[in-house]
Amino acid sequence: MTDLAYLSVAEGAALVRAKELSPVEWTRALLDRIAAVDASYNAFLVVTADEALAQARTAEAEIAKGQWRGPMHGVPYAAKDILDVAGMTTTCHSKLRKDHRSKADAFVIGKLREAGAVLLGKVALHEFATGGPAFDLPWPPARNPWNRDLHPGGSSSGSGAALAAGLAPAALGTDTGGSVRNPATCCGIVGLKPTYGAVSLGGVFPLTYSLDHVGPMTRTVEDNAILFHAIAGHDASDLTSAARTTPDCMTDLKAGLKGLRIGLVEHFYTKDAAADPNQVRAIEQAVAVLQRLGASVKTVQLSPLSLWTDCNRTIHQAESYAIHERDVQERPEDYADLTRKRLLPGAFVTASKYIRAQQLRAVLCREFTEAMRDLDAVVTLSSLLLPCRIDDPAAIAKTYDQQCRLVFNVTGTPAISVPTGRTADGVPLAMQIAGRAFSEPTVYRVAQAYCEAAGTCIGADPKTQPKLAAAARSAAE
Amino acid sequence: MSEPSKIPESVRLAAEQQGLGRALKRFPDIVTAAAERGLKPLGEPPAGLSPLASPAPIFDPTRFESHK
Repeated sequence: MTDLAYLSVAEGAALVRAKELSPVEWTRALLDRIAAVDASYNAFLVVTADEALAQARTAEAEIAKGQWRGPMHGVPYAAKDILDVAGMTTTCHSKLRKDHRSKADAFVIGKLREAGAVLLGKVALHEFATGGPAFDLPWPPARNPWNRDLHPGGSSSGSGAALAAGLAPAALGTDTGGSVRNPATCCGIVGLKPTYGAVSLGGVFPLTYSLDHVGPMTRTVEDNAILFHAIAGHDASDLTSAARTTPDCMTDLKAGLKGLRIGLVEHFYTKDAAADPNQVRAIEQAVAVLQRLGASVKTVQLSPLSLWTDCNRTIHQAESYAIHERDVQERPEDYADLTRKRLLPGAFVTASKYIRAQQLRAVLCREFTEAMRDLDAVVTLSSLLLPCRIDDPAAIAKTYDQQCRLVFNVTGTPAISVPTGRTADGVPLAMQIAGRAFSEPTVYRVAQAYCEAAGTCIGADPKTQPKLAAAARSAAE
Repeated sequence: MSEPSKIPESVRLAAEQQGLGRALKRFPDIVTAAAERGLKPLGEPPAGLSPLASPAPIFDPTRFESHK
């Protein structure tokens, strides 16, 4: 009997296409599991069971008639509740948007609707994709399936939790300073921040204008590439959308690493900031795997991590405050405490400081482009530290900037977080693989080769899956 | 929570100028810390970064031609 909870997109889609698995059966199994175990993880804010089953029945009927739409047809997924779905609320996990109802689908939701995918519901996030795991909001924060007491990462926390807990095989997140890759790192899954402009921001509640990205989140690299293909593409109604064809990420996905040149940005975690030894050991072992697979690896030097952090933080603060200014002035008490702390600094960023940050961004982008001139990809850490306790706001504030993800929001280039193993206590570890603009095929190729060789992704083998929390286990049984 | 008298005058003035009177009254510590964070200068830029440099997002009028 196939374990439908941890069935991958690729395997499930193949079974669905061959009519060996009913999308209705797959969807029902996941809805049952959500009902049984999600009280322990709070991944979902809303479960759209009836609509999901109706979409699954439609998919099944179309496939029975030979009208297969592609690899997301009949595949269940979850969407971060910052993406509009026609007729549903887009709460952004905030009291301020509790009753907002969307009139139209976000571009990416529309793409998945056309692809015949099955929306299971909308998942938790950090309020407005900023802040942190808050306990003073209408909904509780998502929990980490590897250890409920640990921060699941964010802001796409529900997406990460749903994937790791076996509640969905695919999910959408958004990423402004690492919000797809942080939960991917903390929950032991795979998350891509694509090239800026590769995936439309239409119908996504903005956190910033120039750093936001929508990204696919899955348990395997292949699934991630499938989901990326389904959501990428030009959107003429989004000024940030790139008018170019989505690069083919599937053809060379399993081409291996022979002849690829990979840069290692080591100084971020050996010189610029202190990293947890578990993270460092894991990336050292990962680099050895890349070399064994035929890639050449050399260290590369970029500007210090603190400069990238300052650049991202200043742009982030100024742009996010512009969006929230009126509500912060008129009803600051309606935000979570952690969100207020993240938004308010933007009130004090001067216009000239913001422009200087954008000038600095141009310099850093040129520097990265130059470094990539004789490289196919770079690798570096994702989080410097291990996830802290979810209920320790001081630790969360301390660890917020201790990461190397925001570098690639500044450059707007693709970066993926892939699991590199787990600590002795079972806490997931991860690294990033990044590339030049629109080089998603290469980024995926490196990620696929590494994950296949290292066997670090969550899969059908129970040894690769988190053990359900006691309450969830008894509910599931 | 800070007493109103403990809030630096510069922070109080800047916050009020930004329309943050309500936030300052209810969350004085957060507003004070936010001012410190927001006003902190950028780190030392790489050599050669001039105030005349072009910023990253450059206005592109052709973008509007395909805009629906």
